[in-house]
Amino acid sequence: MNLKLSTLAAALLATVGSAHAVEVKYMLWDANQLPAYKQCAADFEKKNAGITIKITQSGWNDYWTTVSTGFVSGTAPDVFTDHLAKYPEFAKNEQLLDLAPMIQRDKVDTGAYTSGLYDNWGREGKQYGLPKDWDTIGMVVNMEMAKKAGVSLAELQAMTWNPKDGGSFEKIVRKLSLDGSGNNASNAKFDKKKVSTYGYGFWNSGSGDMMGQTEWSHFAVSNGFKFQDKPWATTFYYDDAKLAETIDYLAGLPTKGLFASFENSKSLGADAMFVAKKVAMVPQGSWMITHFKTNAKFDHAWVPLPTGPTGTRATMFNGLADSIWAGSKVKEESWKWVKYLGSADCQSTVASYGVVFPAVKGMAEKAIEVQKGKGVDSSAFLTMAKSKTYLPPIADGGSEISEVMKAALETVLMGRSDATSALKTANTKVNQLAKK
Amino acid sequence: MANHAPHALSRTRRAETLTAWALVLPAFIGFALFYALPTLRAIEISFTDWNLLRSPKFVGLANYAAMLEDGKFWQGMKLSAIYVVLNIPLQVVLGLFLAVSMDRLTKSLFVKSIVLLPYLLSNVLVAMMWLWMLDPLLGLVNGMIDGLGFDRQPFFGGVDQALFTVAAVNIWRHMGLVAMLFLAGLQNIPRNLYEAAALEGASEWQMFWRITLPLLRPVMVFVLVTSVTGSFQIFDTIAVTTNGGPLDSTRVIVHYIVQNAFSFYKMGYASAMSMTLCVVMMLYTVFQMRVMKASQNDLA
Amino acid sequence: MTTLFAPVAPPAAHRIRIFTPGRIAAWFALGLMLLITLAPLWMVVKTALMQSANLYTESDQLLPSAPTLDNFIRVLGFMTLEESRALGGSGAEINFLRAMGNSLLFTSIIVVMQISLAAMAAYAFARLRFPGRNTLFALFVGSMMVPGVVTFIPNFILIKDLGLLNTMAGMVAPFCLMQGFSVFFLRQFFLSIPRDLEEAALLDGASYFYIFLHVVLPLSITPLATIAMLTGINMWNEFFWPYLVAKDEAQQVLPVALQTFKSQTAQGQPDWTGLMAATAITVMPTILLLVVMGRRVVESVQFSGGK
Repeated sequence: MNLKLSTLAAALLATVGSAHAVEVKYMLWDANQLPAYKQCAADFEKKNAGITIKITQSGWNDYWTTVSTGFVSGTAPDVFTDHLAKYPEFAKNEQLLDLAPMIQRDKVDTGAYTSGLYDNWGREGKQYGLPKDWDTIGMVVNMEMAKKAGVSLAELQAMTWNPKDGGSFEKIVRKLSLDGSGNNASNAKFDKKKVSTYGYGFWNSGSGDMMGQTEWSHFAVSNGFKFQDKPWATTFYYDDAKLAETIDYLAGLPTKGLFASFENSKSLGADAMFVAKKVAMVPQGSWMITHFKTNAKFDHAWVPLPTGPTGTRATMFNGLADSIWAGSKVKEESWKWVKYLGSADCQSTVASYGVVFPAVKGMAEKAIEVQKGKGVDSSAFLTMAKSKTYLPPIADGGSEISEVMKAALETVLMGRSDATSALKTANTKVNQLAKK
Repeated sequence: MANHAPHALSRTRRAETLTAWALVLPAFIGFALFYALPTLRAIEISFTDWNLLRSPKFVGLANYAAMLEDGKFWQGMKLSAIYVVLNIPLQVVLGLFLAVSMDRLTKSLFVKSIVLLPYLLSNVLVAMMWLWMLDPLLGLVNGMIDGLGFDRQPFFGGVDQALFTVAAVNIWRHMGLVAMLFLAGLQNIPRNLYEAAALEGASEWQMFWRITLPLLRPVMVFVLVTSVTGSFQIFDTIAVTTNGGPLDSTRVIVHYIVQNAFSFYKMGYASAMSMTLCVVMMLYTVFQMRVMKASQNDLA
Repeated sequence: MTTLFAPVAPPAAHRIRIFTPGRIAAWFALGLMLLITLAPLWMVVKTALMQSANLYTESDQLLPSAPTLDNFIRVLGFMTLEESRALGGSGAEINFLRAMGNSLLFTSIIVVMQISLAAMAAYAFARLRFPGRNTLFALFVGSMMVPGVVTFIPNFILIKDLGLLNTMAGMVAPFCLMQGFSVFFLRQFFLSIPRDLEEAALLDGASYFYIFLHVVLPLSITPLATIAMLTGINMWNEFFWPYLVAKDEAQQVLPVALQTFKSQTAQGQPDWTGLMAATAITVMPTILLLVVMGRRVVESVQFSGGK
């Protein structure tokens, strides 16, 4: 094509400047994890003179645009935190470096990771990431409000749910929803129009698109729903009646006065409302433990998700990994960094910050200990990890599928359509997109 | 330029042409590189299927065919058109009111500066400010609404309200500019026209309709052409506040085009849509120019 | 009703009765509109001075109960990560001072280059005859009608192929050489200058270029200043193109920096007090400009519309 003056210049500079430090650009989205990884970077730089790690953090909404525009513009980060729902597209467009040869060459112990995590990041013999951490979902409850409402921790830990009457979950949520005069929602005098605290909230930045990781998938799966038969399968089951029941149930919460309308809760989001004591219970992932510890300045506890009609609790089991950009100019150094990120050393450091559960076996327990030391009991997440776990849906065409599901779910949640018809139309489209 | 010596004429003419080209060349390069060439390239790209990461694939008119069947494309055009209708008339009316006030009530520079201030702020800034003011739970406006006993309004978050809200924010930003433009026009109108009309017993409304408005027509047309074409291309405010939502209620055409280009990597499709938009805008401008020509006579 | 327009009056003084109901109503409406214009600006400042902890309780009050400069300090990057996060911030490191510097550079380069080149071209169109003049001018004016969205994809690809993504050069490229409006505006003005001075200079043997520099330009200070002011304002606020082309921290201009800051919070919800502090900082230069050069700015805007 065109003579790339810049590439020529870069090559010259590379040869001239090989004595100088090589910079590896690393990107992540979770601001809570930034301190832990800064520490890892500092330790890594000590052991690898000549390599500097530059870490950038970009919020979730912007993160993927930045990464993918970076692919296109040739300025993508060398290493970045990757996600199961996003990496198939990147791999298909040949933007991810296949790590398998280097893993073999350096004899990396792939068995050191919690089972299942490593395989999720590979396809047909190629490996696109080294596991970083895993997370499950739980519920965080404002214990001050619970005490006032006469709800005990034991009750919270043993909730049941079904899409017809909400089970003991809804009973508890009703006790926790209070109107301006102090009546709770199990009381006939409850004024739906003047609710001062809601019992349950789950809408943060959206409907959860194709994953519904914290928003709805756990209820749906505990009801018997499944996304696809196995990862990469091109047939989805979003039109399953069991999912429709679940979404209809959730969409009905504002009408019962148990949650703010979706239009109004969009601005702050359930998490912020929880911190502001406007919502009593919120489903969230284990990565939010530190966030609530810092910001929710009241007594709160993490409990496992309710048991569904199938008799089990269900949680999405998500494992992040670090991937290397195929267009990186510093592949060898990037690989060293990724190796370190996937090593027990770095993951031990991360565990000691108590923010996430690192992927290497045994590290999660360590993180839980650290959190206990800070006064947070996060054993609920381990309980969830031992219950029925399921993976996020993995398929080609993720961006467009997400867009379709987002539109469909928002339509239902905003009361514009019933779940069955919206999901049926959506699923047809999704199946078409997944086969592309 | 009556210079009959052919020798001198051709030398002067050559010198003139050379000088002219020397003066125009840099701007011409800019035009060619960043307007002409891209337009041609956009047409070329619109006939391909290309995701910028792999080689483009020629697909002929497939993009255009798909576009005609794409509900979201038509929705985008419709939303842009609705937005223009929401935005422009009110902007013009409010701007005119402000201009007349500044012409008759006060000539204070302070007032003029305040009126102009919103225009000097970027769309992004304005969007941030109103995002905060209109927040359903934290914003001042909803605080006042709630205090008066009404329901809190979602504004940017409301499916029915989002586009109106974006239009309102845009009006807030531009009515000052429009006012200033009208003010300049007003100040060009000779006072004796008013005095003569008053002598003949005309009321202020009559004077407004018969003298002021007609003589403001050139400014009015200028305002209309620039505002309409500008509004059709709105992107910044939406990118910052609603990002096309909720439920695609603010997915105006430019936003949809950008989404296709940078989120879905469908460069070819995005180009096809943008070319179509270009043609629509050109047709509108031609239409407006015709109206403009008709109004030139009013000035004299 | 009452007179809003001055009836027959001695030209020296408008003898209008001050307190007619119509006038009062008009003043009231004007006052209301001024209030609506200023209110958001005030809320931005007030929120920026508020403590994050009071966000939910005090957000719609008019004055902060416990004003603090913490948000400004945090946003300008003078706090450590931990302190910043403890105050509710995201720990996002946006360097606003650098973004401001970038904006300044971006705007200055474009204003200087674009105005110079536009003036040169406008003079050629207004005064010189050469083959293709009218067609070329029509093309330049026509470029104003092409929506930005058509050219942005190919321009993006061009800048990428030239390796100029995330550089100042790449950001200014589409703007600094030609802008239809500037050429059009200046050419109209040049046309309206009486030719006597130029013809006299021509008879004296001056070259066209000399005339341009020493005769025409000095007469055109006002429109040049106007166009410079308008272009400056537009470029200072430009968001779309820099957002596409230069997202790198080091190259961001203010609008892009602001947007990045907004999306950088822990789990999607904006850090309101920090965001408002950042907004206040970004608004400052513009307000300063108005205060210092108020009359000029107002006249520029009016002048551009009058023609």
